[in-house]
Amino acid sequence: MSDAKKIVLAEDNSTLSLLLKFRLEKEGYKLHIAADGKEAIEMIEQHNPELILTDIMMPFISGLEVISHVRNKLNKQTPIIVFSAAGQEEMVLKAFNLGANDFMGKPFSPNELVIRVKRLLR
Amino acid sequence: MEIYHYLLYYFENSPTIIQIVWIASCVLFISILILIVYLKYLRSGLRKNEKTVIEYQKEYESDLITYLYAGNEEAEISAEQQAIIDKLKSCASDEFKRRIIVSTLLRLRNEISGEMADAIQKLYFQSGLISYALKRLKNDKWYVVAKGIRELTQLHVKEVHDKIVTLVNHPKKEIRKEVLLYLVTLFHFDGLKFLDLLQTQLSEWDQIQLLEVLQRFDEQEIPDINQWLKSTNESVVAFSLKLAKIYNQFEVKDALIALLSHPQKNIRIDAIHVLNHLQVYEAKPILKNNFDNLSQEEQIKFFKLLENLSEISDEHFLLAHTTHQNFEIKLLALKILKTLVVEKFKSMKDFSTDADYVKIYEYLAYN
Amino acid sequence: MNTSTVQIILIIIHSLFFIYAFFAIASYVILAIISTIETIEYVKKNSFVNYKEILSSTISPSISIIAPAYNESLNIIENVRSLLSSHYVNYDVIIVNDGSKDDSLEKLIAAYSLVKVNFLINQQILTKPIRAGVFKSTNPAFEKLTVVDKENGGKADALNMGLNISNNKYVACIDVDCLLLENALQKMVKPFLEVTEEKVIATGGVIRIANSCIIKDGKLLDVNLPKKLIVQSQILEYLRAFLLGRMAWSRLNGLLVISGAFGLFDKKTAIEVGGYDTNTVGEDMEIIVRMRRHMEEINEKYKVAYIPDPLCWTEAPDNYKILISQRNRWTRGTIETLRKHRKIGFNKKYKSLGMLSYPYWLFFERLAPIIEVVGIVYFVILMMLNEVRWDYTIAFIILAYFFTVLFSIVAIFSEELTYHQYKKKGTGFKLILISALEPFVLHLFILYAAIRGNFDYYFNKKKKWGEMTRKGMAKAENN
Repeated sequence: MSDAKKIVLAEDNSTLSLLLKFRLEKEGYKLHIAADGKEAIEMIEQHNPELILTDIMMPFISGLEVISHVRNKLNKQTPIIVFSAAGQEEMVLKAFNLGANDFMGKPFSPNELVIRVKRLLR
Repeated sequence: MEIYHYLLYYFENSPTIIQIVWIASCVLFISILILIVYLKYLRSGLRKNEKTVIEYQKEYESDLITYLYAGNEEAEISAEQQAIIDKLKSCASDEFKRRIIVSTLLRLRNEISGEMADAIQKLYFQSGLISYALKRLKNDKWYVVAKGIRELTQLHVKEVHDKIVTLVNHPKKEIRKEVLLYLVTLFHFDGLKFLDLLQTQLSEWDQIQLLEVLQRFDEQEIPDINQWLKSTNESVVAFSLKLAKIYNQFEVKDALIALLSHPQKNIRIDAIHVLNHLQVYEAKPILKNNFDNLSQEEQIKFFKLLENLSEISDEHFLLAHTTHQNFEIKLLALKILKTLVVEKFKSMKDFSTDADYVKIYEYLAYN
Repeated sequence: MNTSTVQIILIIIHSLFFIYAFFAIASYVILAIISTIETIEYVKKNSFVNYKEILSSTISPSISIIAPAYNESLNIIENVRSLLSSHYVNYDVIIVNDGSKDDSLEKLIAAYSLVKVNFLINQQILTKPIRAGVFKSTNPAFEKLTVVDKENGGKADALNMGLNISNNKYVACIDVDCLLLENALQKMVKPFLEVTEEKVIATGGVIRIANSCIIKDGKLLDVNLPKKLIVQSQILEYLRAFLLGRMAWSRLNGLLVISGAFGLFDKKTAIEVGGYDTNTVGEDMEIIVRMRRHMEEINEKYKVAYIPDPLCWTEAPDNYKILISQRNRWTRGTIETLRKHRKIGFNKKYKSLGMLSYPYWLFFERLAPIIEVVGIVYFVILMMLNEVRWDYTIAFIILAYFFTVLFSIVAIFSEELTYHQYKKKGTGFKLILISALEPFVLHLFILYAAIRGNFDYYFNKKKKWGEMTRKGMAKAENN
């Protein structure tokens, strides 16, 4: 269990977080849940995860800032998948410019997310 | 006791106005005390409420997740799932709890798609929550009805279409808006049929929301909007113009050209804008020949159209308007001339001594 | 004069005072009732609006934020960053550096990689000329930002420059040091888009006091009650003014003022009436009155809307000197505006604008401090002549005091039931305590400032003009 790959999930919708936590832990990953961008940054610094999942729009610190922090401040190449809501195309583009690896538009299917996570962590 | 008697004596022997003042002061003082006590109660109530909501939310969240992962392969309801259904059913009779359950379901339903989303909807039916939403539709208070419709929209309950479509001309605009969102969210372009029935005006805000919803779907095959462009309801025309632009409805160009003589200025302006976007050259001579009768806003829009669709034959027309009194028209005329016949533009430096003209000319010359 | 004439005159004076006080109190009560009704309606309507949906729409109308800055070097970088972090999609930010003598421009150029661009300005409103030029960022992350450096001309002149430069349909005129919540623009633009029968010419927002609140990277993280009594009292004052006063006036469509710190305008109308008036210190009130007057004169149905949500937070003065100079300026602004638009007062042609809003402002805002001082002077004279009926005095003072306290508590209630911003335990008790103390603390200073304002307006023209050039810099310009 100790070699389970760690994932930090930053998402302000706690129900969705819980659902994804169950789903991804079933696949054998270790999940750390952050409710906003601030917590996410703390967790990333503390746990040094293999993958980061982050919503773009969160209270206090947005997903974009999380990405920028990881890439520019921490200088890490940890793969990042962003979640975006409909109509946030502009934000998604920014996320990619900042160094996001993949994105999922909400509403998305949890099964599809698992596939993408697996692909990035292979 | 002495003082009390003295005060009473004083009060009884005061003029009426002072009696009134003292009584009013007492009333105010008592109200202040009551409000202070109530404020204390309210504040701690609000704080406690926030905590309780979070607690229940946590509980229902985990129930929901358990339900979603407890399904068997046979697609039958497992015993574990049945237990959760029963629990939610009994909790749903309490309004406070029901609100939290529904919001928990919605929070997830809005974010995910696929089997899980279907499962949430199934749970909504099984736990009897839907019957409460349907009851809301019959409520006297408009905001209860509006919230009911919103809930049915978010949980994709298509079965109540016929009931909801009857509310499309409801006098309360908040209800109308929810009805429209219901129709378009669940039935996509098919839902737009309400435009035939609509007697009230769609606000700009409604239109933006509807277009946002429509753009979420992948299908780009939109129904024939010719009829709506001819609607007597101006807001329907305005909305259809937006549809024409977003979905590049070149087929309706005749209806669009007809709108250039619509009685409403805003419609005419939007029509020029869409004709420009669709690059309908036929519109150009019509507008050009009628240019002097257009309102200034239409004239500016027409010049914007020329920016896209100008041909060498427009040179004379453009030249004539480089000294127009309107700044924007002057700017556009010169700008188009510069791209169209740059030699001519170069020779026009001293064409006019008007300050704006000089400013614009210099600006364009260096850009 | 014989004694009976004197007595009749005295009775008339007394009745006038009494009638005035009666109507003042009655208007407060009526406004509070109307605002309660309006607030309930507003909360119901907005409890299920999904702002997330509209904010990201690219079809939503374009907005320019115009923020004048004068010697703001200390915080300008942070402030601009906050303005750039709105969640609205279709907007840009125009910072007008109004001839600052500090290094604001250099700082901005360095922080946002600005370069001078060739920019064509359609000067629809006459302003002071451009100084160093118009700047844009080379970094695509700041593509929404435009910085204009111009000769000093005061806040109104800087806003006018912004109006000339903006290419968008709506303009949000704000103080550069204001903190806007991320969803502020979509909430403010909603009234413009919702109407079908009339035209919205402007929307006003609420100003909340940010002293002691925790703000990081241009975002409001935690709301705290300030420690100083002077600031706490202003919180109460703002709650009363915004939740009980303006809410009711918006229902009556009689708003005469939108905070200079945060308001959204229909650009076309604002330019049509000639933009901000550079000859007044009350440009924020003046432009609304002028726009309303214009709409009445062209006989078009219109509305000035108002959004009670706490969207804009700013630092309030935390010492008496600044507070007094701020209120002094507000008083002069009110006087100037009312005088300039004397024509609409009591004029049936201007309907409720002339018959209701204007008289109310004249009597209960403009004249209130003067009448109060006259009353005090009169009372002192009576005291010297030993003509005071102390039992009457005490009875009325107590009544007035209780009424004031009750009114503040009602305002606190309306805050608790709607936005509940001060969540921490114990704050409720503190707020009550402040409402009991506030009449003795804040009111006297405000009264003094208002009288000073009147004095300066009539007898101290030099000050009036002297201050013109530097009024852009005053903190918390939130009339």
